Amino acid sequence: MALKGLDIFKLSPKKNCKECGSPTCMAFCMKVAQGAASIDKCPYFSDDAKAMLNEQTAPPMKTISVGSHKLGGETVLFRHEKTLVNKNLYAVPVCTCMSDEEVDAKLAEMAKVDYERIGERMYVEFLFVRNAGSDAEKYAALVKKAAATGRDLVLECWDVECAKAALAVAGKNVILDGATPDNWEAMNEVATAAGVVLGVWAENLSDLYDTVKKLEAKGNKNLVLDVTGKTAKETLANAVLVRRTALKDGDRSFGYPSIVNVAKLAKGDAHLQTAYAAMFTEKYASIIVMENMTYAQALPLYGLRQNIFTDPQKPMKVESKIYPLNGADENSPCALTVDFALTYFLVSGELERSNQPVNLIITDASGMSVLTAWAAGKFSSTTVKKTFEDLDIENKIKNRTLIIPGKVAVMKGEIQEKLPGWNVVVGPTEAVQLPKYMKDKEYEAAAKAAAAEAAAKAAAAPKEEVKELSFEELLQTRVPKIEVVDMGVQYKGHNPESKTFVTIGERIHCISPVIRKAMDERDPAPILKRAAEQIAAGATYLDVNIGPAEKDGPERMMWAVKLLQENFNNVPLALDTANKKAIEAGIKVYNRTNGKPIVNSADAGSRISNIDLAAANDAIVIALCSADGIAKDNEERMKHCHNMLERGLSLGMSSDDLWFDPLFLVVKGMQDKQMDVLNAIKMFADEGLKSTGGLSNNSNGAPKNVRPIMDSALVAMAMMQGLTSAIVNPCDLRLMETIKSCDIFKNHVLYSDSYLDA
Amino acid sequence: MSFVPKTQHYSGKINAVTLGTGDKAIVIGGQNVLPFYTFDAPIENAPKIGVEISDCAADWTAPGLKEFYAGCTTMADYARKAQTMEGADFLCLHFESADPNGANRSVADCVADAKAVAEAVSMPIVIMGCKNIEKDGELFSKIAEALQGKNIAVLSARSEDYKTVGASVALAYGQKVGAETADDINLAKQLNIMLKGLSIAPTSIVMNIGTAAVGYGYEYVASTLDRVRLAALAQSDADLQMPIIAPVSPDTWSVKESTASEEDEPAWGNAEERAIDMEVATASANLTGGADAVIMRHPAAVATIKKFINELV
Repeated sequence: MALKGLDIFKLSPKKNCKECGSPTCMAFCMKVAQGAASIDKCPYFSDDAKAMLNEQTAPPMKTISVGSHKLGGETVLFRHEKTLVNKNLYAVPVCTCMSDEEVDAKLAEMAKVDYERIGERMYVEFLFVRNAGSDAEKYAALVKKAAATGRDLVLECWDVECAKAALAVAGKNVILDGATPDNWEAMNEVATAAGVVLGVWAENLSDLYDTVKKLEAKGNKNLVLDVTGKTAKETLANAVLVRRTALKDGDRSFGYPSIVNVAKLAKGDAHLQTAYAAMFTEKYASIIVMENMTYAQALPLYGLRQNIFTDPQKPMKVESKIYPLNGADENSPCALTVDFALTYFLVSGELERSNQPVNLIITDASGMSVLTAWAAGKFSSTTVKKTFEDLDIENKIKNRTLIIPGKVAVMKGEIQEKLPGWNVVVGPTEAVQLPKYMKDKEYEAAAKAAAAEAAAKAAAAPKEEVKELSFEELLQTRVPKIEVVDMGVQYKGHNPESKTFVTIGERIHCISPVIRKAMDERDPAPILKRAAEQIAAGATYLDVNIGPAEKDGPERMMWAVKLLQENFNNVPLALDTANKKAIEAGIKVYNRTNGKPIVNSADAGSRISNIDLAAANDAIVIALCSADGIAKDNEERMKHCHNMLERGLSLGMSSDDLWFDPLFLVVKGMQDKQMDVLNAIKMFADEGLKSTGGLSNNSNGAPKNVRPIMDSALVAMAMMQGLTSAIVNPCDLRLMETIKSCDIFKNHVLYSDSYLDA
Repeated sequence: MSFVPKTQHYSGKINAVTLGTGDKAIVIGGQNVLPFYTFDAPIENAPKIGVEISDCAADWTAPGLKEFYAGCTTMADYARKAQTMEGADFLCLHFESADPNGANRSVADCVADAKAVAEAVSMPIVIMGCKNIEKDGELFSKIAEALQGKNIAVLSARSEDYKTVGASVALAYGQKVGAETADDINLAKQLNIMLKGLSIAPTSIVMNIGTAAVGYGYEYVASTLDRVRLAALAQSDADLQMPIIAPVSPDTWSVKESTASEEDEPAWGNAEERAIDMEVATASANLTGGADAVIMRHPAAVATIKKFINELV
């Protein structure tokens, strides 16, 4: 239950003293409600009010720490709603009812499962140490032995004296799973004295709830709930009801992590325990106790856990390294792909199927798929070169054949240039074609051809001294002269002070093959044609995407900027590329008559320095409210927003020159996040900030005839929330008419019958 | 004040779809609560298990499987034996060898097999193809025709071929049709709408919303299942209320955890045990997420999941 800013405001001192750094108490309370400021920043809130707020803003489910492990802390019932936070952990039991030999065998068996999968250590995190009698000495000896393994412990022990003896030797990384409706008072004292987590168990949920209430009244909220019932059916009901009561009904007395003992539910039946463990991974166990953990059980269960607890907004990544497949050695050819886990599994699976030795090289691409990474500049000849250097591939592998994904065939030349001596070969576009490709050794001929080509090149062109040219020199020598052509369209001018909605035309983009070709060949016609169409349709700014442009970015951008501005009355532009030098060069030749240049774009992660670039060049910057992947909620979006705002302001930028992009999300896939995005825009507007974004992303994949309708509806809603700009296709008439109409309602433009023609 | 559990009532309900005929006919779907949430409302029909029989079953190497099917040569032999498997509710005939890029067995041969099975067994039958759109189209139509009156389900119609498969299987021959999509709830809904648009009754449609072995991108399957079930129940979305059949075994038996030999992975131990646990965990995860039926292969895995279901409903 999130607290509203106004509720906090009611409790505030209402002094407007500004000591907290906010202009008014109201503004401060709004920030507190968003999690953007801590209540402690205000010296005048009464302690009572603070305590009440802390209580009410506390998460619905506690995060309990045991050693280095965290349990619970979940905020949603289903992973797609946001993300699940703390993965379930596993325990295997030892018991005072077992002989020493049995215990030793168990511990040895338990230690065998210990491996890594996609960067995560997979092992049995806990030992579940059961006390079957009232012999304190015997139990303490067993606990001591268990503690010596270094694993954390769950002590199932209902006998107070035994518990005391056990805790004396158990260390701190312990859950004392011993409180019941009968002994809770004594056990509570034992657990709190030792400073360990207390586990609570009862016959039924009603008794469990009452016992928790009593413990909470004693001040103990360091609890876990053992929800194991008599049957699997009852246990599932307990696990679900406890979690649902906490998260859905907001009753924090059930807001604790849970223990499920499937060893008890399916004693002696390992397969059935696997089935139960899989279910309780999805349905709300924090610790699952298994009779054993064999590899046969661990492989699927840890795999499932890794899947379920993956943040839906953050792709799973595999480590960047050389994966030798099918017995590959230094003489085997290399194949290259990105670190997105699904890509890795698909490609490595198909390569294994080929039975041909091959070194699979995984390059760091921020967990994006091949094409997405390429478009974002995360998979380029530079990143590949870096991987080759980081992994020392030059020296580790003697074979010089490098197969690259067919989808990025365009990179062949650049990679070839960056990795002299390697024979770069374009592989198939789909992983399923790999077995045949590898078996038929199709790459061999291609590698020979690549080698011959490189040799011919080397022979033909004596090595030219590469000298870095200044922008001025580049401009003189490498940028073709601009010819002004009459396209029958004039840019009508733009007043940067105007409040009207700013449209940034997105149609000059290198993802379009026509534009890419035109950029490569410096052919003005296709670019001018698209510019003219967009200007005629009423675009305020034009976006100029020149692609990753690693090689010739500066001269490309200077040419494009001059071409567009000289032909179209200094139309203002957004400069869109991952190459910073290119943006800088573009700004050097940019004419500001109709508005500052826009740097597209910075983010709160690896691209935050683009804010510096904008600040240094007095440009506007589009600031993506994301760091690694999409922000999971508005708290995170606003955190990124404030980070970037602070950076910009500290560099002397005006807040008007940071245009915040909440990242519009695609409806097909993220329908339930659309309102979040709209609410973020409202938060920007409430703080007086400008906003923009690739609005039409919402309708990606929708039928062509539906997209303008969705885009128009969304832009109207977003403008209502305070959106000040968007990156759009201005040739979408319905969308442009909607925007113009909204500008009328917002009283930005004076109405006349022919306002649509303006 | 003590704890009184709140029950969650949904207005939506999963369609109950009957497969097969006579004593052995089964009903899948019908519930109006999340899977196994018996504390919210009773489960109308317990989830069902289909046993996969492949026309490539002779290639199966797991000792337990070989032993169970010892002496079986024809698909009908396998089917007769599978029918006796503890926990089996229906049979799934998987025509892998029809693949033009593989053995390319003729449609006539496959239909003959299907007919022989239908004569030999009384359990409901579900058909899976070879994933080649063209071949499957012909195969599905011919099998649906040959097995008229048996009330089989054909998996699956996809967005590429739903018109031909839907029209022949469901409209012309009165069988049930599966709507197959890959981890995409919007497409799953759209495909059902399009099948209904052909005048196919909603109760003649089942879904396969995408599959994966656990550990292999299963998060997409899990979230699609959650979202499909919540849309069907909480939003009463009639276009997503079709019951779900999840083919588990084809995926789980082809991942490394199941296929790697003990020589290659000495630490991992017995390969068959690994394959069984992979199948069990994936089936359990599917049932927990919302599958109304799972298709499985190994007798030990089937028996385990049957017990699992019985314990929970």
